[in-house]
Amino acid sequence: MTKFISFALCMTLLLSIPAVLHSARIFPYDYKIETLENGLTIISIPLDNPFIISYYTIVRSGSRNEIEPGKSGFAHFFEHMMFKGTKDVPREEYDDFLTLLGAGTNGYTTDDYTCYFVVFAGQENLESVVKTEADRFINLYYDEEMIKSEAPVIEGEYYASVSNPSRRIYETLRNTAFDLHSYKHTTMGYLKDILDMPNQFEYSKLYQKRFYAPDNSILLVVGDFEHDKLMEYARNYYGPWEKSNYTLVTPVEKAQTKQKRASYDWPSPTLPRLTIGFHGPAFSDETIDMAAMDLLAAVAFSSSSAFYQKLVIEEQKCQSFSTSFSDHRDPFLLIFNAVLKQEKDLPDIEEEIFKELERLKNEPVDPETLTKVKSNLKYSFANSLGTTDGIAGSLAYYINLTGDPNTVNKVFDLYEKITPEDIQEMTRKYFKITNSTVVTLTEGKGQ
Amino acid sequence: MKKSTIYLSGVLIVGLLLVFVSCSKKSSDRLHSELLPLDGNPLVSFRILINIGSANDPVEKEGLSQLTWSMLANGGSQDLSFTEISQMFYPIAAYMGLNVDKEMSVFTGQIHIDNLEKYYSIFKDMLLNPGFHEEDFIRLKTNQLNFLERSLVSNMDEQFGKEMLNLAMYEGHPYGHAEAGTVESVKSLTLEDVRAFYSKHFVQGNITLGLAGGYPADFPARIKSDFSALPTGHTPQLVLPEQKMPDGLELVISEKQTPATAISMGFPVSLSKKDSDYFALWIAVSHFGEHRQHVSHLFQKIREERGQNYGDYAYADHFIQGRNKFPAQNYGRQQQYFSIWIRPLANSNRHFALRQALLELKKLVQEGIPEERFELIRTYLLNYTKLYAQTVGERLGWQMDSTYYGYKDFLAEAQERLPKITREQVNNAIKKYLNFKNLFIAVITQDAQSFRDALVADTPSPITYAGPKPQDILNEDMIYEVFSLNVKSGNIRVVPATKFFQKTGIPKSE
Repeated sequence: MTKFISFALCMTLLLSIPAVLHSARIFPYDYKIETLENGLTIISIPLDNPFIISYYTIVRSGSRNEIEPGKSGFAHFFEHMMFKGTKDVPREEYDDFLTLLGAGTNGYTTDDYTCYFVVFAGQENLESVVKTEADRFINLYYDEEMIKSEAPVIEGEYYASVSNPSRRIYETLRNTAFDLHSYKHTTMGYLKDILDMPNQFEYSKLYQKRFYAPDNSILLVVGDFEHDKLMEYARNYYGPWEKSNYTLVTPVEKAQTKQKRASYDWPSPTLPRLTIGFHGPAFSDETIDMAAMDLLAAVAFSSSSAFYQKLVIEEQKCQSFSTSFSDHRDPFLLIFNAVLKQEKDLPDIEEEIFKELERLKNEPVDPETLTKVKSNLKYSFANSLGTTDGIAGSLAYYINLTGDPNTVNKVFDLYEKITPEDIQEMTRKYFKITNSTVVTLTEGKGQ
Repeated sequence: MKKSTIYLSGVLIVGLLLVFVSCSKKSSDRLHSELLPLDGNPLVSFRILINIGSANDPVEKEGLSQLTWSMLANGGSQDLSFTEISQMFYPIAAYMGLNVDKEMSVFTGQIHIDNLEKYYSIFKDMLLNPGFHEEDFIRLKTNQLNFLERSLVSNMDEQFGKEMLNLAMYEGHPYGHAEAGTVESVKSLTLEDVRAFYSKHFVQGNITLGLAGGYPADFPARIKSDFSALPTGHTPQLVLPEQKMPDGLELVISEKQTPATAISMGFPVSLSKKDSDYFALWIAVSHFGEHRQHVSHLFQKIREERGQNYGDYAYADHFIQGRNKFPAQNYGRQQQYFSIWIRPLANSNRHFALRQALLELKKLVQEGIPEERFELIRTYLLNYTKLYAQTVGERLGWQMDSTYYGYKDFLAEAQERLPKITREQVNNAIKKYLNFKNLFIAVITQDAQSFRDALVADTPSPITYAGPKPQDILNEDMIYEVFSLNVKSGNIRVVPATKFFQKTGIPKSE
């Protein structure tokens, strides 16, 4: 009882955020980086908070890596196969190991990376976690029958969101906006490819060989452990993992020269939706393009912006409005999403968005508002660092982009330097009507 | 002089603290409080809990509690418009969250200590001096209507299924409508209704001030003083009618065009976290269907062995989380229910999956938890629950729930009690609280009539696979596919999806 209470009292980190918000580094924790001979990078962040360890394996492969036709959704499918166990530790034994550990565990797949995490209590369990995780990455075992058995689960996951119109309009936007790049499809993939997954045993082996390798993966460990112990275990257990030496070449999207449009008929009652995507920059912690877009989204279109307030709060033509300018390794889309109250307003809202972008090309954003936005970004990031898992999850996002944890500090440095004129210049660069794709979703006869 | 000032300030602070502490003892007409000071923590978390939820909605005014609390959390104050509040919150990354349940609702917020003063002055005004502006009312009422008319029945089948189960389980009961109300009732709500509901229920005795993190020592006394401006008094706790058990399998099937079938089922249970039997039943239900974990038996049988869907879970009490793994806090209820959630699966497998879930439930009830699983699950829960309260806000939420259910610390209590529970106690709890014959079942599917006919005729429902399966699975399938559900035709209601949530209760079947 006493032990548990003291454990609970200590679980929440005593972060040194106040100093951080006024210092040069937004990420306040010291980290160590070591690379094994086989290329596996290990990022270690030992903390003083007792008990909890967040153990993240980041494989820098996501749906971006699905470059062959017919293979959309494969990164996500392979994430599922990673829970099938090995000859030494079959799936049931792996499940029992995690069950006894009481670990919070799972995986997720994005466009650019796939992440596996085990969050558990007790540094005495670290070696067994390193050993078991290394085993499944090096010695994963499954046969053709297991592929056929798991494939319908993906179909089930697709069905879990089949009634969500946001998912459908997003798929339509990407499929329309991209011609060549693998960002054309979502992480879930096309249904026809999902239905063909039972036949992809051979391809799964090729995918594993190419991407599930130490030179394409990063181990990120945050919490209550000693760095030297972690490295000792990592060298022992990950040492035999063989390099891939595979270089991915993603197709280069040709510049879009005229606006594209698409529509989607929803088979039952729904609020009308509008989404507009512009081809934007790839993530960079060196050049200002993407960082300026982050600031633009916040200054001009966040819930505190005049534009949002007009559409959602004052005129109330939109039930919700948001932007999604997400960081990607290759150039992705800068997306505007609106859920409207009435279908008749679709042309007006579309026009309002383009009009606002034109205004922003001609008028620099208010410097005072920009300062507030920079403050928001800092406090939002600081708020995400309240637990070991928060730290690991936030950092995994940035590590996937460049492989370097210092990227997060560099991005916030860029934010500090960016001026209203920089934002204006970037707005002119990316928000051209010929570079846009407009998709609407309305109540219709059905697909 | 300076020394005396400091001394006097100290006396004042201690005095205020004493007043606060003395008032934090439960007194039905005065404010309650839950404090979790964490010296040095840079975050401050607020949970202002009110013991009023949708079960308190007046008849024909269903949805009023949600709309009223939403006017506080998402509307302007007397001094500030909602636009101004949004603009002031933004630089400090602040928000006010709101969860509304049947018998309690909670306003939440978290702020960095740097911005505590700025945040609290607005947060306080939103709750104590709400503006009740006409334009906010129109916006929020329209959103609530759109949720009921468009989103719930058309854009989120998993949530729709859970709401249908609630309607079926609680017909004629104060729990028997969605928190958002019904289309008819929400359309009738006026701003005067909202004002009156606020005046009647937003009173001291209904409110618990929850505060956690690195706040200054005198801060609780300030909050207490500010909220003491509210009228004293309290709303008597609802006297709920006895929960109605289903008579056999009672199905409500919602017809809509969809490639996937969503299924939720359950029945009321006569226990909650406050009962000592809860810990034994918790082990049983964790074994049977731990939320979003491989350890769930149903997950293993339906997803892992047969690849039918994304996941299959069971719950010993009300559980709102979808993708999130850990239980949410501040959803306390006097009455609880056991439920099973089968995530959407191909329409062709709906009959098989329903049979499978119910046969597995039958085995659990008749055979109890297997010996090897008992030890495994008990150890699992002992370790897994250590991850339940990681953030400042979650810890505060659990502390408040502990008080609601009569514990000093529910999670610490679990660490004490779980190791002492025997398999026999678990099996006794299963026998006492669970059954496999009487369940409410909510289904969203297309071609509902043919499903209804197949259920009544008890038609075999074989399953097919894309590839070969081990013989033991195929043998088990032969048992599942003919497992008799014994559904009476009068126990099935088929209703078009768009008819739901227009009025209270289940719409008349076609």
